[in-house]
Amino acid sequence: MMQQDWNALPDDEFRRIFRDWVDENCPQHLRFMRKQRPLFDEVAEWYHALARKGWLSPVWPQEWGGMGLNPAKHIIYVEEWARLGCPRIPDHGIGLVGPLLLRYGTEEQKAHYLPKILTGEHVWCQGYSEPGSGSDLASLRTSAVREGDEFIVNGQKIWTTLAHCANWIFLLVRTTKSEKKQNGITVLLVDMTSPGVVVRPIPNLREEADFCEVFFDNVRVPVKNVVGAIDQGWTLAKAVLGHERIFLGAPSRPDYALARLEKLAEARGAFNDPAFRSRFAKLRLDLYDLSSAFERFARELRKGGDLSADVSVLKLFTTELYQRITEEMLDVAGEEARFADDLPAGAIDIDAMNLFLDARAPAIFGGSNEIQRNILAKAVLGLPG
Amino acid sequence: MPQTQFEDEDGTLAMLRDSVAAFAERFPGAERLRSRRASNHDLDREVWAAMAEAGWTGLLLPEDLGGAGLGCREQAVLSESLGRALISEPLVQLAVLSGALLADAPAGAERSRLAQGLADGSLIVSPVWQDLDGTEADMVVTQTGDQLRLTGKAQLVSAAASASDFLVRAALKGEPLLVSVPAAGASVAQRPTVDGAALGSVTLDTLVPAANVIARGERVAALFDRAVELARLALAAELAGLASRALEITVDYTKQRVQFGKPIASFQALQHRMVDMWGEAEFACCAVVNAADALAEAPDRAASLAVLAAKARAGDAATSVTRKAIQLHGAMGFTDECDIGLYMKRAVALNATLGNPESLRLHFLALERAA
Repeated sequence: MMQQDWNALPDDEFRRIFRDWVDENCPQHLRFMRKQRPLFDEVAEWYHALARKGWLSPVWPQEWGGMGLNPAKHIIYVEEWARLGCPRIPDHGIGLVGPLLLRYGTEEQKAHYLPKILTGEHVWCQGYSEPGSGSDLASLRTSAVREGDEFIVNGQKIWTTLAHCANWIFLLVRTTKSEKKQNGITVLLVDMTSPGVVVRPIPNLREEADFCEVFFDNVRVPVKNVVGAIDQGWTLAKAVLGHERIFLGAPSRPDYALARLEKLAEARGAFNDPAFRSRFAKLRLDLYDLSSAFERFARELRKGGDLSADVSVLKLFTTELYQRITEEMLDVAGEEARFADDLPAGAIDIDAMNLFLDARAPAIFGGSNEIQRNILAKAVLGLPG
Repeated sequence: MPQTQFEDEDGTLAMLRDSVAAFAERFPGAERLRSRRASNHDLDREVWAAMAEAGWTGLLLPEDLGGAGLGCREQAVLSESLGRALISEPLVQLAVLSGALLADAPAGAERSRLAQGLADGSLIVSPVWQDLDGTEADMVVTQTGDQLRLTGKAQLVSAAASASDFLVRAALKGEPLLVSVPAAGASVAQRPTVDGAALGSVTLDTLVPAANVIARGERVAALFDRAVELARLALAAELAGLASRALEITVDYTKQRVQFGKPIASFQALQHRMVDMWGEAEFACCAVVNAADALAEAPDRAASLAVLAAKARAGDAATSVTRKAIQLHGAMGFTDECDIGLYMKRAVALNATLGNPESLRLHFLALERAA
């Protein structure tokens, strides 16, 4: 089959082609799902449709079945995806394992794992955090002790998103105890059907189980499942996200929430209240300016530049704005903010409580906002430790 | 530190930044602000003459009127750089607002005279059009033969005592006029401003030749809309520059200041606050770029929204960053001797000029929801 060079298309044309096909092929009942993280089976038809079209993996090179998009086109892909309300698919394989293997994996590892991600045979999750190692991730203690051609893994991971629908996990494990905690960490690919792996879902504030605990009790993993060099995994773990870091700061969640707030406010007559108008205007302008700031970093990428540490400002702003918008929804709801279910607003229902609860999470995950501020203080302002 | 990031293929913008930095060596902003304040003047004539010589007063004017014929991106970078350097002469009112009114007005001898004088620094042309609440002042024109009589009072006039000419917005039997009036014919009362200058109330009861009409009819409102938009963009840029420089000064200070045996910049509570200040300044710069690019592309509704957003964002950023900067300077920050307070005062004054953030946001919302 002739490969299409997407990057050669003008942005507008690519946007139109992508949007038209997605709008026609993404099932309506999956649009704008309440669930931020649906399970694989819930969105499998969409996953497979994308795979058949060859559009499941936007960034991987075309020789590996990806679209080979440059950052500019990738941003369009993500924007249109959000605009059309397509559900998030379990994307740890596409977004994390793929780039990790493409950069650090052996030819054998790439040939073995990448196609199985595209077919959905392997569904991946990410084993980073531990009960004692959250923001201080490098202190992790899950151990892998070598015995011949195998590692014996013992320990526990936590906050492992979608572990209950995954069959493979990429783990950060401690292979050597060293004085500098960043040394002696290894990246290990683990088959979750191996004896000794136990997954326990953890219900979150939305009373859904997006994330899990994963226990490892003498789990045997072949040494060939190491990615990169033994004991050198920390660098890999940190480098796996490149330009994709911009998406942690994408305005899509506050954008969606503000549209819901506007509908709710119109239905409830809140715009007649000057105090509400003033607060709404502030939120609206915050969103507008977030888009201007996002554009500044996107422009950097389009010019072929790299993102620097300062891109974290987008993550701080978008997650905190998302929170403030959903808090305003509860204010508009008044007494009705006591209900767990959706708020009737004319022809539609508004999931104010769902969004308010959901908005607690993004400021915590992906490096909590406090950690982001620590990083910015050092990397951007050069403040002393 | 945050700075506006424009495309700058021919290096004009970088040159502008360099020339303001060199200018600030000759005329240090804080020092000149203090001396102007002490002298009770509404303008530092020496600084103004040097700004004209640098080509900044005619930046937006077309070349055939003696200007540089540059656009709003260049104006944004100039204003941002002036903000950084705390060079606080009222360029926005006397050059951006007046300049835009003249640049877009119909051709005529009086327009040419004012434009050329503005560009070469021989004239100081101040717009006279606002009431104390920022709305349009009531200025009445009556005509007798080829003479016009202007009567009324306007407020918030920059350099009212130093001006050579006023550009007066008035109405003749309900028809809007833009009229050039010699400053000598006006009576001026001044009030000091928080940023060490003065604003005048200008009372007119003056006869001028009918040939002094610069524009009339619907054109007048359009001229002011465009001029105010450019002025707001310049203000936003200046505020972004103030925010960025005030942050830089504060970061440097907290790295030097030692308490409990450590630089206070090593304390996490202060670090997080400074990161938030940096974010505010960064967003202000992004908003200015967005507005300047939009306005340069097409002066349409989208550009109007972008300008309103930028002035609101940069005003909030500059006032917030400078207030926090004073707190982080401790008692030193409360002294008149320390420059950081001047940054706050300048930010407060510019923030209040041509719409504070709250009013601009409501304006934005009304404009957007009307569509």
